[in-house]
Amino acid sequence: MNGPATGGPGRATGVVPEAAGAAGTTAGTASGTTEDAALALGDDALVLSHRLAEWAGHAPALEEEVALANLALDLLGQARTLLTMVGDEDRLAFCRQERAFRNVQLVEQPNGDFAHTIARQLYFSTYQELLWEQLAAGDGPFAPLAAKAGPETAYHRDHAVTWTLRLGDGTRLSRERMQRAVDALWRYTGELTRPVAGLAGVDWAALAAGWAERVGATLRAATLTVPEAPARAVWSAGGGRQGIHTEPFGRLLAEMQHLHRSHPGARW
Amino acid sequence: MHEGVYREFEETIAAGERIEPRDAMPPEYRATLIRQIAQHAHSEIIGMQPEANWITRAPSLRRKAILIAKVQDEAGHGLYLYGAAETLGARRDELLDRLHAGRQKYSSIFNYPTLTWADVGAIGWLVDGAAIVNQVPLCRCSYGPYARAMTRICKEESFHQRQGYELLLALSHGTEEQHEMAQDAVNRWWWPSLMMFGPPDGESPRTERSMAWKIKRHTNDELRQRFVDIVVPQAASLGLTLPDPLLRWNEERGHHDFGPIDWAEFHAVLRGEGPCNAQRLGQRRRAHEEGAWVREAAAAYAARHAARPAGRAA
Amino acid sequence: MVSEGRTTAGTPADEVAGAPAEAPGAPAKLTEGAQGVQVTEAAQVTQGAQVTEATEAARLRAVAAAVPDPELPVIGLGDLGVLRGLRLLGAGRVEVELTPTYTGCPAVEAMAGEVRRALLAAGAAEVEVRRVLAPPWSTDDITAEGRRRLAAAGIAPPRPLGRAPVTVPLLPGPPGEEHPVRCPRCGAADTELISRFSATPCTALRRCARCAEPFDQVKER
Repeated sequence: MNGPATGGPGRATGVVPEAAGAAGTTAGTASGTTEDAALALGDDALVLSHRLAEWAGHAPALEEEVALANLALDLLGQARTLLTMVGDEDRLAFCRQERAFRNVQLVEQPNGDFAHTIARQLYFSTYQELLWEQLAAGDGPFAPLAAKAGPETAYHRDHAVTWTLRLGDGTRLSRERMQRAVDALWRYTGELTRPVAGLAGVDWAALAAGWAERVGATLRAATLTVPEAPARAVWSAGGGRQGIHTEPFGRLLAEMQHLHRSHPGARW
Repeated sequence: MHEGVYREFEETIAAGERIEPRDAMPPEYRATLIRQIAQHAHSEIIGMQPEANWITRAPSLRRKAILIAKVQDEAGHGLYLYGAAETLGARRDELLDRLHAGRQKYSSIFNYPTLTWADVGAIGWLVDGAAIVNQVPLCRCSYGPYARAMTRICKEESFHQRQGYELLLALSHGTEEQHEMAQDAVNRWWWPSLMMFGPPDGESPRTERSMAWKIKRHTNDELRQRFVDIVVPQAASLGLTLPDPLLRWNEERGHHDFGPIDWAEFHAVLRGEGPCNAQRLGQRRRAHEEGAWVREAAAAYAARHAARPAGRAA
Repeated sequence: MVSEGRTTAGTPADEVAGAPAEAPGAPAKLTEGAQGVQVTEAAQVTQGAQVTEATEAARLRAVAAAVPDPELPVIGLGDLGVLRGLRLLGAGRVEVELTPTYTGCPAVEAMAGEVRRALLAAGAAEVEVRRVLAPPWSTDDITAEGRRRLAAAGIAPPRPLGRAPVTVPLLPGPPGEEHPVRCPRCGAADTELISRFSATPCTALRRCARCAEPFDQVKER
């Protein structure tokens, strides 16, 4: 959980898949229940959906208004399905405190400019697509959702890849902004490929390798440099999966939860 | 009007048939339609703003999903309508320039603020309701692409209109605070919704010509009356009142009588003096300007890589 | 996973809609490839009663199938392929299984509510609607009649997927692709993609190069 994160100078990917040492297959997860895993995956989708929906009315083109809303809606649908596996979706979304959320820190990062949003999407959707692929191939409790969400997530990743290419290989200004975003968010990518408590049936080493390969290929095709910086911050308290979030997250929750909490017990 | 040259055009209109993009048409017909379709498209995209205002605070995940879908719907309809305007030779980036410069308008209802969650419901129920009443006759508009767009859009909007009604229903039957919230929203959105149908018939300059060309099929007052008659019983079902002490059923006319509309407010808002005019247009311009580098990057990439030019965002 | 849609209040909102949501005709007949109708096993049921039950289930299934999709009302739930099953549980109780087209579909509750309303009106005593995710819905589940209705309403139907998923490219593909998306208005094969996402998550926006018409296409999934 707290192992040193190394980029390994000169390594093309800069990511050390930390589960590589262990068996790396189905049983290699920390103990946890299916509900724990559903909460983690559900929170990822819930929080990222929220960030994407913040673009409504501010997107750089009408096609992107439609696209970002679509992504937000897909992710919210996944979140609702996952949270419902755990309990009442609204009670979970609106009445938990910061430390009880189990999303990775990547998804709670503010949108920034469009390049920042695309970099975040590239990192997350690449991970999510690989995860759904593995889960759909098994027969665990997440298989039905994974089979359904997989093709949708493929569209999300395709959208992110296409924009990464356009922005990286567009104008000098767009490349600067895209590289800045790629670099700034890299520190949150290590957490993506760490085992999720309670989630069985995932080969995390393979997932991490697949992630590194796909992201690396996309960045290079976009004439961008793959960061060599560490992919995680060093703090013994842990990361998003342990309920340790970043400062913007509290503000996100304050906005998201305010109205619901203002009318306890009300129905909408 | 245009003897000979546009005889076929006149005959098509008279026969109640459709004019299609490749048909000959008088320049004024073309210009009127471009303007009307463009302003409709502008209304869809500006209309996203008051609703998007509440997405991040939606009080349940289901309502959040419905609201995001609604905003996507509006953006998609904007895209579709700009496409319809393009069949007449207009270009989206030119139309957007006119919007940003204030030379083309959008429905002035969106110059009002959404102050509470209940406003989202009021917009769905009243504003979309009024828009649908306006749009249904346009399904028989003489210009083919616009008529077909209206048919599609009406069907897709009716889902969201109903969701607005149901949102208010839940509030009205909820806690006392929720009920008050709903009533307050309706009190603020009622009169502006009536203004959506435009000035009284006597004062509406474009109506006569648009009706002759079968672009407009009913007068402002006719549509306004239709809307009132539909909505009054719905308000009763909602358990909410409408803020008009003169509103009552007139047995003789077979319609509801209603009180006078404050046309001074209507014209002031049209002139730019409404509560949100500057905010709406400002946000729209800012999104466009701040997005320029993104669009330029897409164009640069396409020029460098595509075999043929890609039709991309304006 | 059970998700109950609430019975919607009888609302005259449909009147405001003006152009009524086009009901897909009289009760849709059971179309080819439709899910089989399951009948509850009841040990004491006689042959005659079983036949009646099967008929009743088929009748109710047709009622449910005719309910228009709330977001694309030109097509019914049966033709859309989201009606997975209908079972009679005895004593007028009916259980219906629906599958969402896409994960984020906000109309699932509305759909469930409409189905419940329709079945209650058709004589069911009690209706439970369940949402099932597996196997996932695919555009291949849209019936031939459904495709026809989409095209008639100016929406290009999805092309057959077969086995492999087809992703709609974000950038226009090379000309002369094998299965072109045809203009629903004039039939031309020369159509171009305007936007991979359109007003609903099911659709992409295209334009016909021949007649200039913009149109939505249901994306293959």
